[in-house]
This record gives sequence, structure tokens and C-alpha cells, in this order.
Amino acid sequence: MRARRLESGGRIDRRKPVSFTWDGRNLTGYHGDSLASALLSNQVSVLGRSFKYHRPRGIMSAGVEESGAIVTVGEGSGKEPNVKATVQELYEGLTAWGQNAWPNVRYDIGVLNSLMGRFFSAGFYYKTFMGPRWLRGTGFWMLCEKFIRRAAGMGTASRQPDPDCYDHAHGFCDLLVVGAGPAGLVAATVAARAGLDVLLIEQDCEPGGDILNQAGESEKQRLRLISRAEDAGVRIMLRTTAFGLYDYGTAGLLERVTDHLPNSSPHMPRQRFWTVRARYTILATGAIERQIAFGNNDRPGVMNVSAGRAYLNRYGVLPGEKIVVATNNDSAYEAAVELAHAGAAVSVLEARTVVSEQVMKLLGENGISLRTCSAPLKVCGMQEVKGLDITTLSPGGSVRDGFEKCDLVLVSGGWSPVINLASHRGVKPVWNAQLACFLAPQMDEPIAIAGAAAGIWNTGDCMTSGHSVGARAARELGCSVRQRVAPKPGGWDAPIFPLYEVGGNGGQAKSMVDPQHDVTTDDVRLAHREGFVSVEHLKRYTTLGMATDGGKMGNVIGLALMAEALGREIPEVGTTTFRPPYTPVAIGALAGRNTDGHFRPLRRTPMHDWNLQHGATMTMAGLWHRPWYFARESENLAQAYVREAETTRKSAGLCDVTSLGKIAIQGPDATEFLNRVYTNPFARLPIGKARYGIMLRDDGIVMDDGTTWRLAETEYFMTTTTAHAAKVMVWLEELLQTRWQNLKVHVTTVSEQWAGCAVAGPRSRDVLIACVDDPDVMTNENLPFMGVIETSLKGGISCRIARISFSGEMAYEVYVPSDYGPDMMDLFWQEAGSLQGCLYGLEALGALRIEKGHVTGAELDGRVTIEDAGLGKMASPNKAYIGSVLRKRPDLLREDRPRLVGIRPRDRSLTFNAGSILCKENAVSGLGEGWITAVTHSPALGHWIGLGFINGGYEAWQERTVVASDPVRKGDVEVEIISPHMYDPDGERMHG
Amino acid sequence: MVNTAEPRRTSALAGHYTPGKSGLLGADGMAEVVLRDVQGLTLWQVAAWPDSMDSVARAIAGTAGTQAAPGPCNAVAGKKGSLLRIDPLKWWLFGVQAPEMAPDTGVSLDISHSRTHVRITGDSAAVFLNRFLPLDLRAHAFPEGSVASSSIHHVGVTLWHSDAGYELFVPRGFALAIWEGLVEVAGQFGLEIL
Repeated sequence: MRARRLESGGRIDRRKPVSFTWDGRNLTGYHGDSLASALLSNQVSVLGRSFKYHRPRGIMSAGVEESGAIVTVGEGSGKEPNVKATVQELYEGLTAWGQNAWPNVRYDIGVLNSLMGRFFSAGFYYKTFMGPRWLRGTGFWMLCEKFIRRAAGMGTASRQPDPDCYDHAHGFCDLLVVGAGPAGLVAATVAARAGLDVLLIEQDCEPGGDILNQAGESEKQRLRLISRAEDAGVRIMLRTTAFGLYDYGTAGLLERVTDHLPNSSPHMPRQRFWTVRARYTILATGAIERQIAFGNNDRPGVMNVSAGRAYLNRYGVLPGEKIVVATNNDSAYEAAVELAHAGAAVSVLEARTVVSEQVMKLLGENGISLRTCSAPLKVCGMQEVKGLDITTLSPGGSVRDGFEKCDLVLVSGGWSPVINLASHRGVKPVWNAQLACFLAPQMDEPIAIAGAAAGIWNTGDCMTSGHSVGARAARELGCSVRQRVAPKPGGWDAPIFPLYEVGGNGGQAKSMVDPQHDVTTDDVRLAHREGFVSVEHLKRYTTLGMATDGGKMGNVIGLALMAEALGREIPEVGTTTFRPPYTPVAIGALAGRNTDGHFRPLRRTPMHDWNLQHGATMTMAGLWHRPWYFARESENLAQAYVREAETTRKSAGLCDVTSLGKIAIQGPDATEFLNRVYTNPFARLPIGKARYGIMLRDDGIVMDDGTTWRLAETEYFMTTTTAHAAKVMVWLEELLQTRWQNLKVHVTTVSEQWAGCAVAGPRSRDVLIACVDDPDVMTNENLPFMGVIETSLKGGISCRIARISFSGEMAYEVYVPSDYGPDMMDLFWQEAGSLQGCLYGLEALGALRIEKGHVTGAELDGRVTIEDAGLGKMASPNKAYIGSVLRKRPDLLREDRPRLVGIRPRDRSLTFNAGSILCKENAVSGLGEGWITAVTHSPALGHWIGLGFINGGYEAWQERTVVASDPVRKGDVEVEIISPHMYDPDGERMHG
Repeated sequence: MVNTAEPRRTSALAGHYTPGKSGLLGADGMAEVVLRDVQGLTLWQVAAWPDSMDSVARAIAGTAGTQAAPGPCNAVAGKKGSLLRIDPLKWWLFGVQAPEMAPDTGVSLDISHSRTHVRITGDSAAVFLNRFLPLDLRAHAFPEGSVASSSIHHVGVTLWHSDAGYELFVPRGFALAIWEGLVEVAGQFGLEIL
């Protein structure tokens, strides 16, 4: 290919040279170039290697449908593979590489794959790895995989973290117009003039669509259209692609914010992922020119006619010196003439038998030879086009009957309107035999199609179409505007001659249908011979249309070949469904800012910084960060939590319990509501008392547990587990809104309103006496076990205190309004510290509760009944409550169900793991007899203990040896099953 | 006995709040987004029953000093406080304590410590907020006096367009995480933290 930059013409700025690097070579282009046009002007013809066969590939188009010039841009952490050079804007310092080749795309050792091409046909993987018995199985695949993955591919992503940031954004408008070509610009202008808020988006860096590729006076027309749109108040977003269309007028857009800049501010995102909601959507997305399948139609130097025109008129590059234009429709002739004008020797192969006199005259005036009823048969040349074998089309088959020396073959096999977005809405494209393309049908939603996307081929008609559709949108949205008659699809002087393949069976050269995935015409026919009739199956078997272009280049050809093989018409065979995204979307753009530390929103207690300042090592508890342990100098986790648990049992410990769920329950029927929700009675709970409660699901399984405090006649304060806080809140709201609408009760989450601290241990009362304004409230009489009081801490901090215990010691839960949390901790710690108390974290909390046999989310895992948890006495027989009927199903009342038990090692020096399976001695297999939910070293007992469930419970297994089996991690340990209440079973310490 | 003196309050953003300008400021040094942690929030929730809407509305309008209580998705500012309708049966009283009322009429709840109050102003405040919120904030769709419940990074938030700007109420536990996100994104507009 002898491409060269012209001295004048195009939209590039020759005063602004741009340096860039290709495969390590320093090259120069101009401002306004795409990477493809710059490479073309530097006579770089081979830009990539194909997926399977490593065939050399060059530039095939000038747009998003590109299947040859797929390259890697950037280096290191900023490396991005599979960039289409045709849409990558050139910028100073851009670095690009050919991909899927070694040592480089020009001399690639992987080309040896093509010698084995006959074995890599459709269904290669299925036939090889699921076929012969001796090749089946994972082992052989694992052996081959690394070689196959290295040999086949589409570029390599960086293994380093993405250095760029990405935004998410939301937009709203009355009318969204996708595509700022002539139809889109006019549609947007008409609607905006009618008073609508119009958003016009364009994937290119300039508005204008196909006008950008035209010569002559078209620029003036383009500027006029843009000016009118801007004057009408149209908001125009460039470098923005609508990649998907969703329910209720929602469109997904990707804005490339800084991809075209050499250096951008760290404050600016690389790309922005937009969710736009529009009342009406107009798709003015244009059309894509199709190829024709013939021998070696993927060689560098074979491209679309429209691409040749774009490189000439937009980028000032004459893409070849001696050019053959092969066409089956009228659209190629303008390009042929313009290329001849620019100095190329041009000849035309016309598949039709005759062309209009006007065309004949035009060609004659410009010295362009024409050969009708002819088509390209095979390209000669490996890394560049050296000539073209030509055939005369006849019913009897295609034989070589001519040869033309050339360096560029431009092909136009017709046009495919871009109806992908319409297809996303579930409409089935309709085949238009006259235009040889699929068109979108009328849609039930407020979506309309304008311009070439509606099969309208002339620029003037496209603008009329835009006017008509824009006015229709305005009228449907309530504006008063005159609507023009929409032009009918078409617009060529002579009809297209449907031609999808030249050569047919038996050709030695590969004839590509989907160049990106190396799917050939033979692959499609092979699939048919092997019994595939459905297009969807064909697609998956051959991988046709499954590459990064989503079938833009090859789907129609593949469909036509399948139809021919089946002896049917194209409409009978159907089409594949286009799915989002229209063009690839970076994973980073989907993630947006929600990465690293912001992958999930971090939830901090009001004492978060206080805990850190006092030596906390934090751990995740759902979205919360909670203190795990407070290590003193040189302590590890195990040493720290054992000390914390011991200190709490001896003196006093403080624990941040803010993360517990807290719900305000208010209203005249609050008591009745709670009585229906909890299994145990709440009707007679006195004001100033708390009660432990269990709530079940409808099916009788335990949902959650917690305490509920009665603050006033009609007001309660419920606490839930940290894990189930949101679930319980939603459940209570659902009950009130759907089942018990007559109850006057409001529930409100107050988890964020209150900061909580557990003060536990035999000296806990002493700590609080020193911290409250009125020490008398802390006496055993005023605040007995399960008592509740509202009072104030020193400094005037209002607080709620309940004497409840999770640790088994005398303990209190104290809640203050959240902004006072740090001051509360300062107060408590000053006193607790002076009593040789400690701060304790989740690990010690766990140890204390396991010693006591208290259950948490680890035990209440959605399979456990109230009896299984050993809390059957809390199920009132005298009232109805949620789950009260279904909990009595026979299977839930079986005596041999897994019941909560305590566990200790027979050899007290040993340990075992949570998650171990409990098995009978000498019967370690399968699901065993139960499982272990939680383990700890017990400071109080001096050895390892655990909680778990075993069939029949403690009574069935006392005095028997059980094996805690952990085949994955640790092995087997002999254990004894004991009561879950392993420490102070009578609760004497707790009751004080 | 409850001590009614107001002790010191510690903001959820304390220790992480740095006033000043940053990001891509305009040529004149102007920031297009201005953020402020508005401290000392007084916020009460008042909930009515279906048959007591009118009497609760009258009571809270009197407390806030407004002519009437606002309807759904609206807010009104009064002489003593503001009223935000945040739920079919619920209002928020901003800046003033809720009135006493019988349980058969309605219930009130102090939630002053449950939210962190961030005020967003500046020429690009609405565009900036749409980097997070799926709300139509165009002038005609969300004029002054509008209220909406929405979410930022799956965290439920409330947005009120007041005469002072956009008032964002974020659950206190998530406030710092959301604040960090706000500050990061605001850099592209030029940010000033007051």
C-alpha cells in the first residue's frame, strides 16, 4: 500500500505536528489525526496479527467497526489493549504497539499457526477437548491451555493497578439524540427550537457524522448545522458513546474525558460513565459499510470504500496509488471520483450489470475504468496488496478471469444501519430485501430512528428525516411544531445487488466473515454441515460476531451464508440480537470511584478515631470497622484478647458496641406490635425494663435476637445484632405496611443516633458510678438486672443505660447521642483505667460469649429453630406471633435435630477449628453429625472451647467421643460434647 | 434526672476536615463547588397517623413558624425552623425541637445526631451532585424548596434545596466515607471547603 500524506486538504492542522511512537519507532502525525491515519501516512501497513491464524492485518475501516487495526496503547500500568486505531485520537507522546505477535506484527513467528489452520476451524475446542476419549478431561486442557492462550489472543492487559480514575454521572433531558450527523443535528435543533431540553451526543471528537468525510462545500453546511443547534440551546457532548439503551428512556453513555490528552490533571477522570434518563430518544446513529467475503479479503490494503474516502477527505491521506474499488451499490462512486481527483489511478469493479449513464459519464470524465458484472476473487500479496484476481459474476460459479495490479482494494458490499440500540430494547430487526439490510421496526416506546440508521442514504434526505423525527418527538412531548413528511428508506439511483461472498467453496485462500475472530466462510458452511441451523447456535459455535466489534463487520455476511446453505431467505433465518455494550466499556468505568478503600462505603462508629488513638486494631464487621483487639506492646492477637477477656472478668472492660442495630418503636400499639413479633411475651414489660427477645421468620426459623427496652408507655428501644440490623428494620416496616396497617406504630432506625459502649465486669458499676451525674441511679435497687434508666453522664451528656450482659459478667450498655461518643469514652476510660480495667475488642467479646454459650449470627444462620438454639422456653405457648404456627412442623420438632452444644478437646492442650464437622468416632465421613460454629481459648477455663450443633444435642452425646474433622486445614481432633453454658451457668456473676 | 445543658459535640468529620481551596480552580481562583460541614444539627422526626395528618401538620407548622406543613417532596422555611416532608406520614423539623403531642396524635423523635449535614453551593453544585445522585436537579425539576431521598454509593441520603444551597443529610456512620468521595470528585470543579 503506497499511502501518502497530501500537501493540502483534510481536517488536520499541518502547523501542529504530533510526535508519537509505534512499536518503538518515532513517527510524526498532525493534530486532528487518528492513530490509524497517522500510521497510514507513515506507510505503516501491518498493524496487528489476527486472533487464531496470526494473519497480518491492516486498517480496514475508519470507525468503531474496525477489525484489523486493533492495537495496544500506553505502557506500564496505563497500558490498554484492543484499542481501535481508527478512533484513537493522536496526541503528543502517544505510544502504541501491535499486539498478538512476537517479535512484532511485521515478523511474527505465530504465523506458523496458519499452517495448522485446517485444525483450528469452527468447534476446535469442542472437538479437541471433548472429542476423542484419550483427550478428554481437565488434565489435557490444563496442559494445552497456556500454549493456546499465548498463541491466540487479543492483546494483554496490564497486571498493575489502573492509575486512572473514572467518574459516574447522571443526566436528564427531555430528548436524547444519539449521533450528531446531519440527521441528529437537525432533529436536535428542531426539538430544541420547540422548547425541549435536548442532549445531543456524538462518539466522534467533532459533530457532523459523514459530512466530516465529505469534500467540497460540505464543511460550510456542517458549521451551519452546528451553529443552529447551539443557538437553539442543544447541549452537545462529544467523545461520548451511547453503549446501551435500557428501560424507561435510560441510556448508558461512556464519555472519554481525557483519552485524547497527553497530560491531564489528576483531578480529571479518564472516562465518565453516564446514566441518562430521557423522556424521548432519537437514534441517529448512521450506518456501517459492509465488506464482501472473498479470498484474502483481510489483507492489509483491503478496506471499506467509506474508509478510503475518510482518510482522503478528513485526514488528507491518499490511502493508495493504484486503487481498485469493488462495489455492488451506488455509494462507492463519489469516493472513486474523489480519489482519482487526488491523484490515484482508480478502477471500479461493479457487481451489477449496468450503471446509470450519469455514473458512466462521471467515471469517464475522471479517467476511471469500469468493469461491470465483476467482483474481487482473491487478493494477492501477504503483508500488503500487490494485485487482485478478478472474476465475472455468473450463475455457474466464479472463476478467475482477470488480474489487476493495485496497492489498495476498497470494497462496498452495502450498508448496515446501526440499529444496535433499538435492538437493546428487544425489537426484532426486519430485513429489507430492496436495501439488503436490517431496519428497526416502529417501536412502542418513545424512541424514533432518523437518517442512515433508518436506511436513508442521502445527506439531504437524512436532514429531512431528522427534521421529521425531531418534530415528531416534540409533538409527542406536547410541543406545537410542524412535522415534515419523512423520506422513505433508500435513495440510490439503482438498486443494490446483494452480494455477500465471491468465490464460494473450494478456494485456497481464506475468505473472512468475521476478521476479528478469524471466522471464515468455510467455518460457517462447516457449522451447517455439522447440523447447526439456528443463527444463535452458529454464533456460539463459530464465535462469529463475538469479538470486540460485536459483529458489526461480519454478522450480515454470516447470516446470508447460513441462509444460502439452508436454502432459505435471510428473513427466515433471522438475526442475532445485539446486546450492550455497543462498543467496549472499560471495567474501570463501570467501577467508577468505588475502588480500593471506597470499594464499599466504610461505616465508622463515633468512637472510630478514639479507638485507633487507643491502640485498636480494626476489623470489618459488615460495612463497619470495629475494634478487633487492643494490643499492648509486643502482644499478638491471641495474647491481647486473652488478656482483655481475663481483665474484663476480673475488673472492668469497655467495648464499643455502636454497631448493634437500634430501632425506635413508637405509637399506641407498640406493645401489641412487639408481642406479635417476638416469641416471648412483651405485653407486661414494665417501663424502665429491658427484655431479651427472639424473633422468628414466617417459616419458624430464628431470624434475630436482641433486647428491647421499654422507655415509656408507648415507646420502645430495640437492639438487634450488627449483622441483621437492616434486615430486621425492613422486616418490621414490611409487617406494618402490609399486614398490620391498623396498628398505630412507627419504626425508625436510630442506629446512627446513638453511640454505644458496653461496660462489663465486676467493677463495671464502679466505673459508671464515677461517670454519671447522679450516682444513686446506679444502685442495685434503682438499676437491677435488666433495668433501664435515662440519666446523664458528667458534663451533661444525656444517656440511656441498661443493665444487660453479653459477657456473663455484671454489665451495662450505655448509649449517648453519637456526637458525644468520644467524650463518653474519655470519661469511662479514665475510670476503668484507674481500676486496672481494659478496652476490649471483638475477639475478646467472642471469647466471653462463647464461654457463656450466647448465640450470634454464626449460630443463627437461617437453619436454626428456637429449640435448636436451646431457647425453646422463650417460645410462648399462650400467644400467636410470627412463626408460631410453622415452627411446630413435625420436622422442626424432631428430637434428633442438630442442637446447640459446647465443645472441648478431650486432650485439653489441643485446639480445633470453627467450621469443622462433628463426626462419630471411627465414622469420619460425609456431613457427619454436626458442625462447629465458633471457637476460642477460654481464659476462664484454661483450654480451648467451642460452640456448635450436633444431632440430638448434649444429651445424646455426653460421655461419648466425637471427632472434630477438618480435612482441609487441620485434620481430626477428638472432642467432648458438653453444655453450651460453660462458664457460670447459673448466671450468678451477671446478676451480681 | 436529665441534664439539659448542651455539651460539646464532635462532628463525624472531625480530624478529617481541612478548610481551604483545592483542585482545578478557575483563573480567578474561584471554586465552582463549595462544601461546608454544618455543625450543631437540630433535627426531629415527627410522624402522624393516617387520621391525624391535619392536626400534626398544624402543630408542626406552628412550631416551625410556617403557614402550613409542606406536601410530599417539599420543604418550607419558617421563622423558627424548617419543615421537610420526607415520607407520606413523616416530616423532619429542622432547626427546632418538635412539639409535645399525644401518642394518639403522633410521635416525635430526636435524630439530631443521626445525620451529618453538608451544605453544597457554587456554580456547579447541581452538576457536581449529579456525579453521585440519580436525581433530576435541573432548575425546573428540583427548585428551591424541594426534598428528595436518594442514595450515594448505596447509602441512603436526603437532599434539600434550601435558599442557602443544597443541604445533604448523610447517615453519621457513613459521613466520612461519603465526604471523602465528595472531596475527591469536587476537585475537577475547583473546590472550596469552608
